[in-house]
Amino acid sequence: MSVEFVKADVPWITITILLPLIAAVVLMFLKDRFAKPISIAISAVIFIISSYMLLVYDPSSYKIQFYEKYEWIPWLGVSYEVGVDALSLTLYWLTALSFLVAFIWSTNINKRIKEYFIAFLVLEAGSLGVFVAWDLVFFYIFWEAILIPMFLIIGVWGYAERIYAATKFFIYTFFGSLFLLIGVIGLYVASYFQTGELSTSYFSLINTQLPFTLELIFFLLLALGFAIKVPMWPFHTWLPDAHVQAPTAGSVILAAVLLKMGTYGFVRFSLPWFPEASKYFVPVMFTLGVIAIIYTAMMAIAQTHIKRLIAYSSVSHMGFVTIGTFALNDFGVNGAIITMISHGLTSAALFLAAGFIYERTHTYEMGKLGGMARFVPIFAVLFMISAMASVGLPGLSGFVGEFLSLLGTFQVSILTATLAGLSLILGAAYTLWLYRKTMFEEELLDEERLHKWKQLKDVSTSEFLSFLPLVIFMFVIGIYPSWWVNLIQKTTEAILFKIRLLGG
Amino acid sequence: MSVIEQLVSGLGMPNFVILIPEIVLLITAFTVFILELITKNRKVISAVSILGLLGSGLFILVVVLGILKLILSPITLKEASQNVFYSFILNNFLENFVTLYGLYVVDLFALVFKLFLIVGTIFVLIHLRPYVESKKSYYGEYYYLILFSLVGMFIMVSSPNLISFYIGLELMSIALYVLIGLYRRDYKSKEGAYKYLIIGGTGTAIVSYAIALLYGRTGTFDFKEIAKTLIISDNLDVGLIGGLVLLLIGLALKASAVPFHHWAPDAYEGATTPVTAFLAVPAKIATYAIILRIVVEAFPSVTETWGLAWALFAAASMILGNFVALRQKNVKRMLAYSSIAHTGYITAALAAPTGMGFAALAFYSIVYLFMGAGAFLLLSSLEKNEGWSNSLDDFKGLAKREPASALIMLVFMFSLLGIPPTVGFIGKLGVFLALIGYEVWWLAIVLVITSIVSAGYYIKVVANMYMYEPTVKNRLNISLTEKLSLGILAVIVLILGVYPTQIWTLTTTISSLLMAGVGR
Repeated sequence: MSVEFVKADVPWITITILLPLIAAVVLMFLKDRFAKPISIAISAVIFIISSYMLLVYDPSSYKIQFYEKYEWIPWLGVSYEVGVDALSLTLYWLTALSFLVAFIWSTNINKRIKEYFIAFLVLEAGSLGVFVAWDLVFFYIFWEAILIPMFLIIGVWGYAERIYAATKFFIYTFFGSLFLLIGVIGLYVASYFQTGELSTSYFSLINTQLPFTLELIFFLLLALGFAIKVPMWPFHTWLPDAHVQAPTAGSVILAAVLLKMGTYGFVRFSLPWFPEASKYFVPVMFTLGVIAIIYTAMMAIAQTHIKRLIAYSSVSHMGFVTIGTFALNDFGVNGAIITMISHGLTSAALFLAAGFIYERTHTYEMGKLGGMARFVPIFAVLFMISAMASVGLPGLSGFVGEFLSLLGTFQVSILTATLAGLSLILGAAYTLWLYRKTMFEEELLDEERLHKWKQLKDVSTSEFLSFLPLVIFMFVIGIYPSWWVNLIQKTTEAILFKIRLLGG
Repeated sequence: MSVIEQLVSGLGMPNFVILIPEIVLLITAFTVFILELITKNRKVISAVSILGLLGSGLFILVVVLGILKLILSPITLKEASQNVFYSFILNNFLENFVTLYGLYVVDLFALVFKLFLIVGTIFVLIHLRPYVESKKSYYGEYYYLILFSLVGMFIMVSSPNLISFYIGLELMSIALYVLIGLYRRDYKSKEGAYKYLIIGGTGTAIVSYAIALLYGRTGTFDFKEIAKTLIISDNLDVGLIGGLVLLLIGLALKASAVPFHHWAPDAYEGATTPVTAFLAVPAKIATYAIILRIVVEAFPSVTETWGLAWALFAAASMILGNFVALRQKNVKRMLAYSSIAHTGYITAALAAPTGMGFAALAFYSIVYLFMGAGAFLLLSSLEKNEGWSNSLDDFKGLAKREPASALIMLVFMFSLLGIPPTVGFIGKLGVFLALIGYEVWWLAIVLVITSIVSAGYYIKVVANMYMYEPTVKNRLNISLTEKLSLGILAVIVLILGVYPTQIWTLTTTISSLLMAGVGR
């Protein structure tokens, strides 16, 4: 399959990757008070650029757009190669949005302010890079480079158990990514033996014809790396710890961006590179996906810590992405991609809500909360919309993705679709539980808390501005999903091209 | 007529032009030696040593650039011979580069390694004086011993012959034994020096026995001649196998590969920290270089066996080095074990005896210079402060007390761990490529798993620096020069991490030239 490229007139992608890095370097020499305005301005510019790209992107046929390529290490066939198709572009846009939101939110940082923003800026550059890199060495560089700032963000600005959580996060993901690296290098070498051409470009590696056993091995190596990042059950145990300990903005990025890297990896690499192996492993992936959905949903119900609950719900939602992806049909993959975006929006909003509650009450324990709705009405509305979007209420973003995923899965395995579909009830249960335990049940409040709640301040301007884009896009996707489906349709077809060729 | 006169009249004068770097270094060493007797001005001594190194290094740099220009760009011989500079390079470094009657070779391979050895030594010397002065253990001997040791390394990487290899090895090692012991009133220094003396002495004895056996079997000291003899007769007898095994053990011992590593942690911990950096980085790089030259030039017919032996050493070094480092409370000792682990990563490339493997080895050892030396030299700057004992607790809250140093240390730690965008990642990537390209899957897996283990201790240092409150509040005293030199090292690590192209080109070129045996 040959791919068309549309060269970028202006190297937008490179600009967006370099901007935060330059800003980070500049910030090192400036005073603390400049950190926030500069970060917000930079991320706003990036968001505007990415939105512009989203609007100009031509979804009518599959082309790699805004494409740039420069030689890097010619001896190894490595080049700097970036560009977007719809899958890359939507996640790239989501990343830009999430960082804008995270920066606007970050008001109450009281220690090492400058370093905090520098870490986030470096993280932004790396995260943007992951979704647009088409050269595997660069992909890996971005993929790994984000570990450093994220490790510091959790470890320095987190809560009590932060060092344990940061270390666990680092070692888990590092473990997975090294296997990913071996898989990629193995494929690179195999492709060299076959074609005699050294290249780490995605578009050369995709043409490698592998024997079935080798394909299985490479699939597993890559899948290990991706599965830890997603995270899929049983590799998810780092996530609740990381989320609970991370500062609010860190949780937002972790949930909205970092988790997407794993699922992006599956859709981008595993399916087109290893079509036979992907087909072969469908039952395994379905099983893991369903276990993730049901088991972690039940775990979520059992939690009393707000962030831990949302973290488990993330794993559960990622389960829908997994089964959607491995349904290996248009509906499923479209659903998976839209679920990724939707989950990015909703989980970011839910973590913001958790952050809001913590900043007002200094606790994440649901037992110590409750009955806040009347005292913080605007927040209660925003929180409600986010919670409903997360549950999958029709008209909001969560519904579209999960519905399409299930539709896709239903065509392949009725049992999987049924089990996953039933667990939507569990999803509703824990989300509503969360909402009730924090916002309602005013009548159960004791005097002390009632007194405290009366002095609560509702959302501040910057908090409102952080929520606003998330909520708007929840509605946009929920009400007008066909624009998004149209956008990604051709890309999905291209991704499934090789699997279609296998037939059956 | 004396023997020398007979040689000169029979074979002509040896080419001394290509020996200029060595000559400059020797002159500097003796000048420092004499200066140290007549002046007590420490800055002068330090400056003279560094100037000598710079002079020698600049000469090598110009020559290397000239050679690369001639090799890699389409300049015809005719054009080159008309240009004064190019004809100089052509005549001396591309044609008559074997000198001293076949005992010394100055090819691109040797020049590149010499260049980086000098770079490393300059950084060591910059940090040496502040350190030993703060420890009240200043001796002028440090300077000329380091220079002599460096000359030993030069001879070693330039040796086409077992005899000159042996001379270089001895010159390097003997100077190092003294350097380690040169730390006044410190018991650990004496212990380390003594251990290194005994074990290193045994090592050289083993090497000399290996040379005797190889000579007895092949009748020659020259690497290429040995290779020819081995190709002609394919029966492996006791003499040959014995010689090979002993040579392997001797080299492994000098490279501190497990199970011959026991001297390393004590010697590293006992020596003054800049000397540790010298011992852990330039001395080792020279050893890797000669290992590479010997395997390619002398034993091309047994690279498989040789590769397997090194694979086993490498696996053992990676496993032991990383697991033991995990338990260390003292960062200097931890870095000593990390250096053993890096011997493992670097020599693992020998398990893939291909151009790729050799290039990966050369690349990793060259870039290890920057991160390895950087980490040790940063310790030396910190150690100057009262009450700093290199324990992990000392590192707590370093980011608050000394933000720049903490950031630099962070870069070195992540580079040693192999996280992009630092150069440590590119080094490991090269080794992975070589191993997987040659289908040595098991070693690649060992490398991966031990790398994950190593994350445990490297990020512990980072966590201590950034995530704890400092236990002591007083400010640390690190001079601007030191910060600058460390900053340069850290920036090099980062720049090479995103733009390794030039060094890759260089190492690929030297590895292919070495394999082709150009000119010899």
